[in-house]
Amino acid sequence: MNLAQQIINGLVLGSGYALIAIGWTVLLGAARLVNFAHGQLYMLAAFLAWAAMQQFGVDYYVAVPIAVLALGLLGVVLQGVMLPLVMKQNLTSLMIVTLGFGYVFQGGAARVFGGDPQRLISPLQAESIRYGDIWFTLQDVVTLAGTLLLFGFLWLVMNRTRLGALVRSVAEDPKLAQLFGINAARVYIGVFVFECAAVALGAGLVAPRSPILTSMGFDEVILTFVVVVLGGIGSVGGSLLAGFGLGMFTALFGALVSPAYTTAAAFLLLLIVLVTRPGGLAARR
Amino acid sequence: MTDVAKVAALQATGISVRYGGNVAVDGVDVTVPAGGMIGMVGANGAGKSTLINALAGWSRGPATVRGKVRLGGRSMDWLSPHRRARRGLVLVPEGKGIFADLTVSENLALIRPPRNPRGRHPFSMDEIFELFPRLADRRTHKGGMLSGGERQMVAVSRALRAAPSVLLLDEPSAGLAPRLVYELLATMRRLVDRGLSVFLVEQNVRATLELVDELYLLERGKLVARGPAATMKDDPRILEAYLGTLKT
Repeated sequence: MNLAQQIINGLVLGSGYALIAIGWTVLLGAARLVNFAHGQLYMLAAFLAWAAMQQFGVDYYVAVPIAVLALGLLGVVLQGVMLPLVMKQNLTSLMIVTLGFGYVFQGGAARVFGGDPQRLISPLQAESIRYGDIWFTLQDVVTLAGTLLLFGFLWLVMNRTRLGALVRSVAEDPKLAQLFGINAARVYIGVFVFECAAVALGAGLVAPRSPILTSMGFDEVILTFVVVVLGGIGSVGGSLLAGFGLGMFTALFGALVSPAYTTAAAFLLLLIVLVTRPGGLAARR
Repeated sequence: MTDVAKVAALQATGISVRYGGNVAVDGVDVTVPAGGMIGMVGANGAGKSTLINALAGWSRGPATVRGKVRLGGRSMDWLSPHRRARRGLVLVPEGKGIFADLTVSENLALIRPPRNPRGRHPFSMDEIFELFPRLADRRTHKGGMLSGGERQMVAVSRALRAAPSVLLLDEPSAGLAPRLVYELLATMRRLVDRGLSVFLVEQNVRATLELVDELYLLERGKLVARGPAATMKDDPRILEAYLGTLKT
């Protein structure tokens, strides 16, 4: 085994996991909301970018922003529909409703885009970089850099700006926030739009790695959930750490043991972490 | 100031609040004159908090509110709580009044003072730190790390930053040491003397009587007495139930 290559693979995989999870992390941490349609939103964004490229012949660099924008708008609509449940913090109903949205998206996408696997082709994927034994693509570099930049930016916004304080206040106590003159409903919509747009960006960068299927949403949501929970629900830094941790684990476990059992092993790891650190990796002891 | 010049800053009529089938407040009228301080006392569970929350259009539970609320003559009835707060009807709720995860500065910075403070009472940060010097040293502390008194000071400060036309205070003294209670309430009185209008709900009848212009007594959701503080001081219902002595 080429250890250096596996570490690179781990970093690349991990940045993808973290990037796809970031929206959900903010949603859970900042709004105490769940969205089990997260994986299907990823799928939808990937297919929207693909369709824009295939049907309208636009460039990859245009197709990804289109998908980000479209998902952001979808976020406004979805949150508008769910707002009464969100304001009541009715989490059980929200789980079911978002799960329902996920299946509707999946069915709708299969109807529109067909059931065949497709490829979202990024010109960056073709640019490979070699250093002796190790090999990676420009797409990997962009994904890694994009993830780090997005996490850094998000951390700054959440901890150093009034907007971040606004989001954290609504997360802590939406009722009290109203007395501060804060329109909690609007903050929820903003957070949800961020989630949708961020997962679309994740899809735009990560989906070119492998064939895309309209049924891939559920697998995405499961691994993302591992990252979010492992990181310590809602912790921006924690989910970055968890994303890279899971990526590294997947790469090394796949190389050293067997790729067939990676998901099972990842969940075993999750169980161990949760039993020993119930608050996740980022939890303060 | 003459009585004629004291127009109502806040006028609430026929306020009733129900929780499911239970009537918590039953047809109460409240008038807060501009530049006046009104106190409301009553036993635990009399409906004081429910009433003051209803004025702000706010509730933690599923409350149904009826009645009219007018702020400076403008109807507040269909406005959500955050809109009422922005218009200057600012409530400091009982108990948890600030965010524990945010620093003192962040808590205060959440408030955007109104651009047009006409008819309102804006407070600069300097004035806030002048009123509560201790907060200046606690700026970078998180809300959750403060003492009860400090937390209450931050809660009042953020309400003042919102430039209230009427300040609604729900038991600001709860959980504070007696000396702090008096200090906080006396600070409120000084602000009233500078023109702020305050509606105060309190358990501490003795301190309230010394500071307010008018006192309301609430029992089982109904207003049973109201009058100038000087006369209410001798009201047998107040004497018996709250001051623990009957004048002989």
